[in-house]
Amino acid sequence: MNKITTRARSLIIQKIRDFFVQNDFLEVETPIMTPIPGMEPHLTPFETTLTPPAISQLSSATKIPMYLNTSPELQMKKLLGSPEGFDKIFNITKVFRNGEMDGPLHNTEFTMLEWYRKNADYKDLMNDCENLVTFLICKILPREANQSVNTQTTDNLTVNGQTQNYSILSQVTKSLSYQSSTINLATPWPRFTTNELFIKYCDLDLLENQDFATFKKTIDEKASSHTVPSSSASPFPFDSSGCATWDDLYFKIFLNYIEPELAKINQPIFIYDYPSSQAALAKRSADNTFFAERFELYIKGIELANAFSELTDSKEQRARLEEEQNLRKQLDKTVFPIDEEFLTALDKIATPTSGIALGLDRLIMLLLDKKSIEEVLLFPMNNLTSLANTLAQR
Amino acid sequence: MSSTTDLKQGLTILHKGNPWLIAVAQFVNPGKGSAFTRAKLRQLKTGQVVEHTFKSGEAVELVDVVRNKCQYLYNDGETYNFMDNENYEQFGLDKELIGDAVKYLIENTECYAMYIDGIPVSIQVPPKMAFKVISAPPGYKGDTATGGSKDATIETGATIKVPLFISEGDIIMVNTAEGNYVSKG
Repeated sequence: MNKITTRARSLIIQKIRDFFVQNDFLEVETPIMTPIPGMEPHLTPFETTLTPPAISQLSSATKIPMYLNTSPELQMKKLLGSPEGFDKIFNITKVFRNGEMDGPLHNTEFTMLEWYRKNADYKDLMNDCENLVTFLICKILPREANQSVNTQTTDNLTVNGQTQNYSILSQVTKSLSYQSSTINLATPWPRFTTNELFIKYCDLDLLENQDFATFKKTIDEKASSHTVPSSSASPFPFDSSGCATWDDLYFKIFLNYIEPELAKINQPIFIYDYPSSQAALAKRSADNTFFAERFELYIKGIELANAFSELTDSKEQRARLEEEQNLRKQLDKTVFPIDEEFLTALDKIATPTSGIALGLDRLIMLLLDKKSIEEVLLFPMNNLTSLANTLAQR
Repeated sequence: MSSTTDLKQGLTILHKGNPWLIAVAQFVNPGKGSAFTRAKLRQLKTGQVVEHTFKSGEAVELVDVVRNKCQYLYNDGETYNFMDNENYEQFGLDKELIGDAVKYLIENTECYAMYIDGIPVSIQVPPKMAFKVISAPPGYKGDTATGGSKDATIETGATIKVPLFISEGDIIMVNTAEGNYVSKG
């Protein structure tokens, strides 16, 4: 990452803060290290140990496990449920996911932008996403963006040495140039339910395949007739091998036959109403409880944000956390205690509430037309082999 | 034939009846899902390149591939000719079978010949190779319309995106699987 990109990144983050402050959100800071991290079965937090101070009542042999947050979600909801009356909050914070550092879209430590609002459902957050990206495009990228996005930005950054003086750039750009394609940003952005995508691209209705055995049978039948989805990027027919759960089947199909199609769409898209097995902290859909009110925002096949209408029923939340504890046990992962403070806070949230997590580094990649996350980080952890060799030499 | 659950770059697997070389393998963790491996595969009999995502831990059959050091000699149109450095036999391969590696071949380039059942099916170039830059337009400070990079032509004639400070005559390291610049050599 060069100095120009560094400045552009700094400017984008500054404008993100402007956007939320102008929309009456309060910026909050949450701990990076926590005694009880999120329970997502497939995420692996970094683990460390807190040593009690010598004067503490605790014996010095007492070891308190601590974890680096994989998301500030639990703390954000504790704030929403606190008597202070936080109702619109945002947070720009570092999060950590152990084992995730392969490829152009992952760095094991990355920056998350989360925002939460009361009296809002997940569709309100879709509007927030459209407004945020449009705001950033207006503030940061000039109208000439289609030809030379970064040149213009750079000139202004370099010449003025200032970042606030962007009045000449205020004309609305309705498109973004990314890796030789033009992304049309005109709102509203297309919205598809997960089931619409499975039907459209794979001729598979999730509602007819709600349990593992049925879903696997359907896929195996397609496999035995060598059915390849016609629009697919992969030439291989459907195949259930390696899949032990309903979600494995879902993702194997999604990643092979749906996500590549999404990458061809030159517009940001919202995918919504996820199977509730993939939305442990989300409210179930009023129309069909098989689905939950969760959405993801994709731009050029890149997963940018993940949002929920928050589940605020602490009883149901406890049951789902217990399910996830079991799943973690089965997967041989560290099992965390249930965060009682979090459940207590949920009960205090009296109005419908929604929250979203957006990968800030990925958004910056898109805005600055960078191919990989390491190009927008000053200290990417991209060369594990050389790191391992260096340490081995000590 | 053996099998593995560990998909790695450079392995050749038997999938749906055909041998596929894993050119690139990447970890994917879809949101709230378990781990998957996204692979870029090259069919060794046809040269076809595809992407496919495997469930991590999915058992795949390995193809026994014999790898001998070889040397690139010359091409006559569509056929690229090599000499096996172990038995000194020459063999020719269609351009399609060589895939992207064709961009990194100049006379006497050392690479690996891949044999399945005694028949040469493809070659593999080293994952990182050094090349001399034969032409690189000067970069202008502040020009980031190209994302802080520019096109340079290396001695094989291939074009590689390089940082602005690279100039003609420099030696650069190239990642041959991804086709991108790694460092100034």
